[in-house]
Amino acid sequence: MRRRKGVGTHQLDFAEFYRGAADECLRAVLVSTGDQDTARELVDEAFARAWASWRTVSKHPAPKAWVVRTALNAGISRWRRRRREIPVSDLTEVTRLPTASGESADLVDPQIMAALMRLPARQREVVALRLILDLDTARTAEVLGIAPGTVMAHLGRAMAALRHDLQPELHQEHRS
Amino acid sequence: MNDDKLSSMVCESVASIRSSTPVDQIISRGHAVRARRRRVPAAAAALVVAGGAALAVTTFAPSGQPAPTAAGKAGSLPAVVRLAAWTVAKQANGDINVTIRQFQHPAQLQATLRADGLPAHVSFSGNPVTVCQPRSVSPNLAMGIYRFFDGNGSDVLTIDPSVLPSGVGLSISDDDQRLPSGSFVVTIGTVYTSRQCTG
Repeated sequence: MRRRKGVGTHQLDFAEFYRGAADECLRAVLVSTGDQDTARELVDEAFARAWASWRTVSKHPAPKAWVVRTALNAGISRWRRRRREIPVSDLTEVTRLPTASGESADLVDPQIMAALMRLPARQREVVALRLILDLDTARTAEVLGIAPGTVMAHLGRAMAALRHDLQPELHQEHRS
Repeated sequence: MNDDKLSSMVCESVASIRSSTPVDQIISRGHAVRARRRRVPAAAAALVVAGGAALAVTTFAPSGQPAPTAAGKAGSLPAVVRLAAWTVAKQANGDINVTIRQFQHPAQLQATLRADGLPAHVSFSGNPVTVCQPRSVSPNLAMGIYRFFDGNGSDVLTIDPSVLPSGVGLSISDDDQRLPSGSFVVTIGTVYTSRQCTG
């Protein structure tokens, strides 16, 4: 006989999911947004929404991707509301600022973060889902609503741009 | 540097980042999340029975689309499409007023908005919209494109399609949330137009 899950069981399921997925989701959103405080707020908000819709989200084939997608969508309206745009040129400074919670933000490599922020938003999303969340191409395509081939193209371009940015000395050697 | 090495560098660059928010705080925050979002008043719930009757009438329209209710002067083009679930009213100045009472008939709402010249995607599935790519616009522009006002007990969404930049449409969705009061939550966002998203 099947039994419906009670609220307590749902809460335990969600808590387990949260503990297992929160760090990864935060890193993925950070890679997309470039700002720790913003990423933390967005991820917290996305998890809150996940809890509110847990019956649906728990059946999602990739609930972590649901959270990240929701966080990024929420980010659009949040930035719109707060007029909080982070100029790419300021990112190095931003990543070194202490967070609102008082934690040091120096944990992020500023050079790599700045290189990520120079990527177009869609490429950053692909990097976040493919590399940080470790989703496969098909799932990434599904989450972003684009073709698998487009995911591969975005990832290829992103990797090329990152390689170029993070290995300037190598390129200089090749040119000389 | 090969792709594996580069991937590792990217992952390691954020590997020490950890979430510090307790799960209890996340759960309780859900209420604040809902409160921040636009709501359709709970009074709509009382219209369910009457709404069913209204819908039964409208589905007799030959096209299968909701039968429009003409507004304004006799002989003018129908400016209002009204279902029990929602109403779309095209204003003389080109603005489109949308009142949502129930999350039903998204395809018809979407078709109505598109017929009024608005590239739109409507989803009432309760899931995040994944077929559309969000398009960030400036706060001023967003306020010019859409705004809410209190219209006789219901929030009315007013959209001005004329200020939409080329290639930008609107996404209207719910997220399967109901507030304790019984109110609904509707989410509006700007998106890139595409065949998949806005038709």
